Amino acid sequence: MTSPTNARTHKLSPLATLTPPSISRTWQSAPHPSLPIVATACSDRSVRVYSLTSFTLLHSVTGGHKRSVRSVSWKPGTKGQSVLATGSFDSSAGIWRREEQGGALENDFTNRRVGAEEDEAQDDDADDYQFSCILDGHESEIKCLSWSPSGQYLATCSRDKSVWIWEELEDDNFETVAVLQEHDGDVKCVAWHPEEDLLVSASYDDTVRLYKEDADDWVQVALIEGHSKTVWWAEFEASGMSGKDFRREKEGLSEEQMKHIDGLERSGPRLTTCSDDCTVRIWRRKAKERDEHASSNTGVPSIIRSAAIDEDWYQEAILPQVHERAIYALSWSRTTGMIVSAGSDGKIIVYKERWRRHAEKDVDGDQMDVDGDRAPSPTEWVVVAELFSAHDVFEINHVCWAARADKGKRVDGEEVVLSTGDDGEVKVWTLDEDVVGQA
Amino acid sequence: MELDKDNANPTILNPSDLPSRRSEATVRRRDDGAAGLFDDLIPRYNYLSDPFDEPTSASDSDDDTREDIDEQEIYDLISTICDPEHPLSLGSLSVVNLPDIHILPPSSPLSSISTVVVEITPTITHCSLATVIGLGVRVRLEQALPPRFRVDVRIKKGTHSTDEQVNKQLGDKERVAAALENGTLMGVLRKMLATCE
Repeated sequence: MTSPTNARTHKLSPLATLTPPSISRTWQSAPHPSLPIVATACSDRSVRVYSLTSFTLLHSVTGGHKRSVRSVSWKPGTKGQSVLATGSFDSSAGIWRREEQGGALENDFTNRRVGAEEDEAQDDDADDYQFSCILDGHESEIKCLSWSPSGQYLATCSRDKSVWIWEELEDDNFETVAVLQEHDGDVKCVAWHPEEDLLVSASYDDTVRLYKEDADDWVQVALIEGHSKTVWWAEFEASGMSGKDFRREKEGLSEEQMKHIDGLERSGPRLTTCSDDCTVRIWRRKAKERDEHASSNTGVPSIIRSAAIDEDWYQEAILPQVHERAIYALSWSRTTGMIVSAGSDGKIIVYKERWRRHAEKDVDGDQMDVDGDRAPSPTEWVVVAELFSAHDVFEINHVCWAARADKGKRVDGEEVVLSTGDDGEVKVWTLDEDVVGQA
Repeated sequence: MELDKDNANPTILNPSDLPSRRSEATVRRRDDGAAGLFDDLIPRYNYLSDPFDEPTSASDSDDDTREDIDEQEIYDLISTICDPEHPLSLGSLSVVNLPDIHILPPSSPLSSISTVVVEITPTITHCSLATVIGLGVRVRLEQALPPRFRVDVRIKKGTHSTDEQVNKQLGDKERVAAALENGTLMGVLRKMLATCE
């Protein structure tokens, strides 16, 4: 019997290392939402912006922070300019802007890219990221920040145990719309739901919390417990994955499987988290009754209404446990639905969800049926790729998917994995099916 | 730290009773770049050239470029760290003890990562400096050992009132990194580690 955890059907191969690397630890990398560039948060107080077409350094954003830059996030949906938020151990967040010439850049990567590289060689200054404003408020190190999908909100979190939500009223005028102090420890990560203004935070207190706006007040709507140690990262599934992942092929599915797909659709995008406890977990929202929407705007007292916006998130799966030390980051592909994770053990792991085969039902015991009465999921997650020592002997602080943009791109929508390590390097990996018999 | 000492009368071991393998003259001279490591508050990887992989190891480890590092060597690296409130070394105060140092080999032949586990014994159960001592041990080992070692520093179970809390802090890479960028704390650590030269 083959254990699902041993089915390594794919292989991660090195494509490039972004050059020149940083000489000290790099923390996190964020691919631009539309351009083929990536920003990397560095412990030397700078942000490095690399090209994903040439794999070379385009900009070094310096002079803003007094300590490590821990986190970077690109504002989505900007026109004609790129907007970058940076969060630092100096307790502040910075906003940086750069004019992007040519209005068509969102649609035309290729032309735009050639032009940009020529500009780079000629003059730097006018082309650089301009410091735009600073967001002060946190009392200690900012650990993570994230723009909401609409670009309306920026969430920041800190060792001071709080999560702040900022709203940009006009250019460079940010207002604090919420200070959420639900956690009992450092808040390690914040991330937004792809469709709703629903924010998630993960913490040193081992919990995950969800927040929503209720009558002008942001409130906690769900508390997720399950991890036994610090939760380092949280990320939502992308929208519309039912047309892309294991659910795409609908032919020959059983009634139970169709029901499962329908149920997932009603739950909406799921949530995945990873932790110092060496597990990756999937959480799913309990779908609300349909007619509840009808009663939500009836002017009932706020105490009652608050209860109505509470959400029930439950654990759907624990992924096969392959990591041996803290898992610092993971990323859920918007193209394939695969999850990639990395951490202190220097490994990069890729997981894929598939229909559980009836024959091996429950053999691996991965489906922790913690809530008792829920039927085990008809799907299972398997490890499809496992790479050791991706950054030699160094720890990997961050991993994410990005659109492939170099000349070697083979198919539309091809993705690469970006890993960011203690060695100061950001590495680019391709994922290929491993032909049986090879290697 | 300017408060009264937590433990005014610690038990002190005689230096000749401390575990050692070699004669005193050869015990401590490791030019691994530790001097000046703290000149800059930002952690850098000065040890990218693995000091233990240098040809000096050729005599005792034939073809293998990787010299084995044992518990005694780990002990030698940290026992000379100075206690933050007494002018005494962690070894002589029995805060670090040879039997509480363990080296775990790579868990798989595909992995090259070894783990060093050090359990420290604070001089008294409520010693408020336990975190600082643990941080000093972790920093010392991370800077002196080749990067293939992961360093886990813990308070020995049952020897401290808030050991779980301290262990969690010492195990949190992000907190440790931020602490190393804190000038005040680095000043304390620099003093503690000055005796390691």
